[in-house]
Amino acid sequence: MSNTLEETAVFEKPEKKEPMGPLFWICVGWIALNLLGAVFANVLPLTNPLFENYNVINAGPSIHHFFGTDDLGRDIFSRVIYGSRVSISVGIGAMLIGFGIGAPLGMLTAYRRGRLDTIVTTVMYVFLAFPAIIATIAILSFWTPRALFKIIVVIGLASVPLVYRVMRTATMNVATKDYVIAAKVQGATDRRILFKELLPNVAPIAVSFLLIGIASVITLEGALAFLGLSVNPPTPSWGNMINESRTVMAQNPWLVIFPSLALCMFLLCLNFIGDRLRQHFDVTEVKL
Amino acid sequence: MSENNIVEVENLQTVFSTAAGDVPAVGGVSFTLGRNETLGIVGESGSGKTVLSRTIMGLQPRTNVTVTGSVKINGFEVVGASEKEKRSIWGTEVAMVFQDPMTSLNPTMKIGKQIDEALRVRLGMSKADAKKRAIELLELVGIPSPAERYNAYPNALSGGMRQRVVIAAALACSPKLLMADEPTTGLDVTIQAQILNLLDELKERLQMSVVLVTHDLGVVATRTSRIIVMYAGRIVETGTTEQVFNRHRMPYTKALLESSPRVADASHTRLKAIPGRPPNLLKLRDGCAFAPRCSFATDKCHSQRPELEESVETGHKFACWNPLPITGAAN
Repeated sequence: MSNTLEETAVFEKPEKKEPMGPLFWICVGWIALNLLGAVFANVLPLTNPLFENYNVINAGPSIHHFFGTDDLGRDIFSRVIYGSRVSISVGIGAMLIGFGIGAPLGMLTAYRRGRLDTIVTTVMYVFLAFPAIIATIAILSFWTPRALFKIIVVIGLASVPLVYRVMRTATMNVATKDYVIAAKVQGATDRRILFKELLPNVAPIAVSFLLIGIASVITLEGALAFLGLSVNPPTPSWGNMINESRTVMAQNPWLVIFPSLALCMFLLCLNFIGDRLRQHFDVTEVKL
Repeated sequence: MSENNIVEVENLQTVFSTAAGDVPAVGGVSFTLGRNETLGIVGESGSGKTVLSRTIMGLQPRTNVTVTGSVKINGFEVVGASEKEKRSIWGTEVAMVFQDPMTSLNPTMKIGKQIDEALRVRLGMSKADAKKRAIELLELVGIPSPAERYNAYPNALSGGMRQRVVIAAALACSPKLLMADEPTTGLDVTIQAQILNLLDELKERLQMSVVLVTHDLGVVATRTSRIIVMYAGRIVETGTTEQVFNRHRMPYTKALLESSPRVADASHTRLKAIPGRPPNLLKLRDGCAFAPRCSFATDKCHSQRPELEESVETGHKFACWNPLPITGAAN
């Protein structure tokens, strides 16, 4: 019995993955630079961000102060770098909490369905119906004194229903595919199906949602800081720097421009990386 | 009797509870399948073939469905068994080939891995042994240079090749029964024939029984020993392939046969379509489900449902009040 086919054209040559492109690597580099800056801020030869030098008040960018100084003579460059610590750790920390709770829960309920799914989903949707930003503001105004970890925990918990919804929908979409049923009738256990069949197929969605989530949480921290609900001044964060300097914007626009630019660039890069990664790992597209 | 049968189905009913009411997708089906036999299940879309085959596998959804009756696969009662219990027959006793090879392979896993997963989990093989066996299986189903293909991802394979991989994965634990649910519907005609021949050949080699579910009579004509014709979730006629094709008594079977194209027909011959549409299972009436579309229907057909009864030949059964004469429509 020779049933090996004579046809040779049945297999497509595994095509070379399209390169990520220079813009992607520039973005990765920028994010890496920001992360390094945040981690090593106190090792770097920076002026103390809290040091008030009354000899140079509201100065423009110069060789001594790259981004200029504010109305108290503090070095903006140093404050932007120290400020990234708050913004980035809130962004990453909150999303870790959100994904840590929301992702496993969403995948599990989407796969198992039944009563547990109904209960959990209903509860999550009730939370979703309640505006998260109002809840965050309310909790943070009463939970004093303010601290970084409290902001992370509150925003993290507030993001759980969103992450849950995305992960549940993505998993349900995959769980009804024939290959999951096929794995099941080959005797695969639930745990195997969750980790080998479902997880790799929802991962691209999860990763891009994670990056976009970090970006939105950083914006949210900015909003909270703007309302004075983030870390207490004089500790800098991108959000509260923008907030504090808006009153002197006309006299010293640098004060607003640099932290805004830092925030904006960071978010743009994150979004771009998320988008590019999703495209790159999307092997599900049939190319026939 | 049960010794010779791989499958025994007894009054099987699958009812879905929907917001609009109960849908009896399978409404009381009984049949048996012998070892090393190929059974064809034919019927229009929506006649309950797929639900029947999934219920036999024990693959109904976890919620909103009630299954009653009995399905015994090699003596194992599937109805009412938990997933954990069913896992003991899945793969080793019964395996399944799905309709669409584009969606029945995990796009993020190498094809070889998808085959040896089952070997390692179910048969406890070592990594190296499983890989060796997986490559053998790929060769068995006719994949050229299997050792290299082991590391390919599904998106590098054509539809026919993927279906071969699906079959290889299904055969991994040498099941005694292979359920093939429309295995060739997603493929083009030349590949269809290859896949069907492959299934036939493997059945002989591995001494399996095969259930071939299809809406295409051409698929079952030469490859099955027996045929079940389904309509609205019930068996309306069953017998050997020869009996069903040549001496059918049920008008629905006749209509179904007449609606498939024939090579002998002159070109531009109009196909006979069955008038009307399959019934809405939510609104099944007391009579024969086919009566509204049947040209032989009488008042009795509309008010009383005919049960399966034996024709003149043993093993040939049909459910009809006004059957076609015994000579039937000769082909």
